[in-house]
Amino acid sequence: MFIEHTIDLSSGPVHYQKGGSGPPLLHLHSSGGPRVSPVIERLAQRHSVFMPVAPGFNATPEHATVKTISALADLMGEFARTVIGDKFDAMGESFGGWVALWVAVRNPELVEHLVLEGPAGLRDEGTGGVPADLEGRMRALYSNPAHAPPETRSPQVLADTQRARDGYVGDISYDKALHDALPGIRARTLIVMGTRDTVVPVITAHRLKAGIANAHLSFIYGAAHALEFDAPDRVGPLIASFLERGEAFVVPTPDAA
Amino acid sequence: MKFSFFHLMPWTDLEEAPAQWPASNAAFVPERGKELYDNYIATMAFAEQCGFDWVGCNEHHFSPYGLMANCNLIGAALSQRTSTIKLAMLGNLIPLLNPVRVAEEYAMLDVMSGGRLVAGMIRGVPHEYIAYNVVPDESRERLREAAALIVKCWTEPEPFGWEGEFYQYPSISIWPKPMQRPHPPILMSASNEESAEFAGQHRAMMGMTLIADLAVAKRCIDVYKQAARASGLEPTPDHILLGYNTCIAETDEEAREIMREGQRYFHRVLMHSIRDAQRLVIQKSRFFDAAHGERHINRLTTLKERSIDEMIEAGSIFCGSPASVVQQMRRVRDALGNGRFNINMKIGNIPDAAVHRGMELFRDKVLPEAKDL
Repeated sequence: MFIEHTIDLSSGPVHYQKGGSGPPLLHLHSSGGPRVSPVIERLAQRHSVFMPVAPGFNATPEHATVKTISALADLMGEFARTVIGDKFDAMGESFGGWVALWVAVRNPELVEHLVLEGPAGLRDEGTGGVPADLEGRMRALYSNPAHAPPETRSPQVLADTQRARDGYVGDISYDKALHDALPGIRARTLIVMGTRDTVVPVITAHRLKAGIANAHLSFIYGAAHALEFDAPDRVGPLIASFLERGEAFVVPTPDAA
Repeated sequence: MKFSFFHLMPWTDLEEAPAQWPASNAAFVPERGKELYDNYIATMAFAEQCGFDWVGCNEHHFSPYGLMANCNLIGAALSQRTSTIKLAMLGNLIPLLNPVRVAEEYAMLDVMSGGRLVAGMIRGVPHEYIAYNVVPDESRERLREAAALIVKCWTEPEPFGWEGEFYQYPSISIWPKPMQRPHPPILMSASNEESAEFAGQHRAMMGMTLIADLAVAKRCIDVYKQAARASGLEPTPDHILLGYNTCIAETDEEAREIMREGQRYFHRVLMHSIRDAQRLVIQKSRFFDAAHGERHINRLTTLKERSIDEMIEAGSIFCGSPASVVQQMRRVRDALGNGRFNINMKIGNIPDAAVHRGMELFRDKVLPEAKDL
């Protein structure tokens, strides 16, 4: 069960959901906005999962001083220090992966494990991206349209969310400053990519693997970009095993055999 | 036209057909096996001197039909006995195997041979699934995933994990990687329309064998081409490999007599129990859909019952003097537009001396004419 909360931070209020119990896990949402996916539900069985909403998403107020991805990451770092208050694991989907990377860069002493699901921010200009048309977008996000979660938000909220996303991202597809900063990440990192991901080209995963000292790359065969909904039965156990077992997650167990 | 020399490595000494599948191995004599391996490997290496572009190996299990349970072992032997001919593994039966192991062994062969591997990724004939206790119904999807994983093993620049439907490997980094970049050429079977579409979708070369009817083969090739173009590959004749049982002798009559004896052993002894097992798998699984399964059985039955002349006429075999064989090849080439023939001369128990003579005639009299087809 996830409960909604609000915390007042230095630049304004931040809405978030919290669910589960156990070691803290910060989950940073995609540009689609926060959604409790089957993967998150699974992780909440062993973790306290914190899901802050980027200001401006889902009809939440924007913060006048938070206008970039790195500024948003600083806000999420403040959120973690204020609400979680201790070392934590962080994960992010796509847009949220980009933010999570900056959180890990700026807070190397706090982030223990980092999980990046099709992370944005390091693709070459003119490659990948989310198609503008609905049909193309669905194909890019889901290998099977039936995997898409139902949309319950109004058109106005969706439009405002999109505008907020555009405000943070601007016209940046390749964040050079982030790329340069990757060696500073100390967290043990899992990069998860769908083999049918056309939104985030695989070069992103290669850049991350080369730049982060302790990174592991896993491909989800047949999955498109929205991994938590497109392949939850494989993504959930993979991330859970990584978070619980650390580097030993590569060792087969009787349960997994 | 380019040519591949293919070998099944049959066991040639059985008096009677095995009563059931799998064939009892009580009659296998290791010392005779050693002789056969020596002869067969020497024959296959000789193909390089006869002007063949490829030498082809393949994988079969639990049967005197072929002694190459792992054709990569034969490929490794050939890599040390040849220097220019391509080593065509036609191929590993991917859905039955550990795909990471296949990626490793193929990479070894490619490096050992100096970049001469042609990597067959074959679904296999139905009865092999009984041998390795793999569900035949899953064969196509296993092949699809395994092929993707093997290519990933070859091309991924850093260690990676794989979470698939059939295969899960948390950490992969093969040593060696292949010599050919981005990876060795891939060939897939296309002996029915469904397989042909699959091969085209994967932008692989297509291989077809046991052709019973040129019109049916043409349809498969058309399906392959259409699927390949839709996937971004403009197929050329070089992408199309057609397998032919072939007998070349001094005269048509001599060739027919040699082929007749070999075919008799092939169908009466080597194929006997396999046919039963294949029928069982096709009927009791979704290896093929119903229509494809029926066509497969009909194809095998047709090939068994036809005379040598009928098979030549149907475009199913090449048999005769060098001049006749060139003519038969030209006819098939004109009908199907292929750029490669995969020639199997060791049919059933045809004597190795006759095979060698056929290879020499190919080198001296067929190739000079047929290479320009």
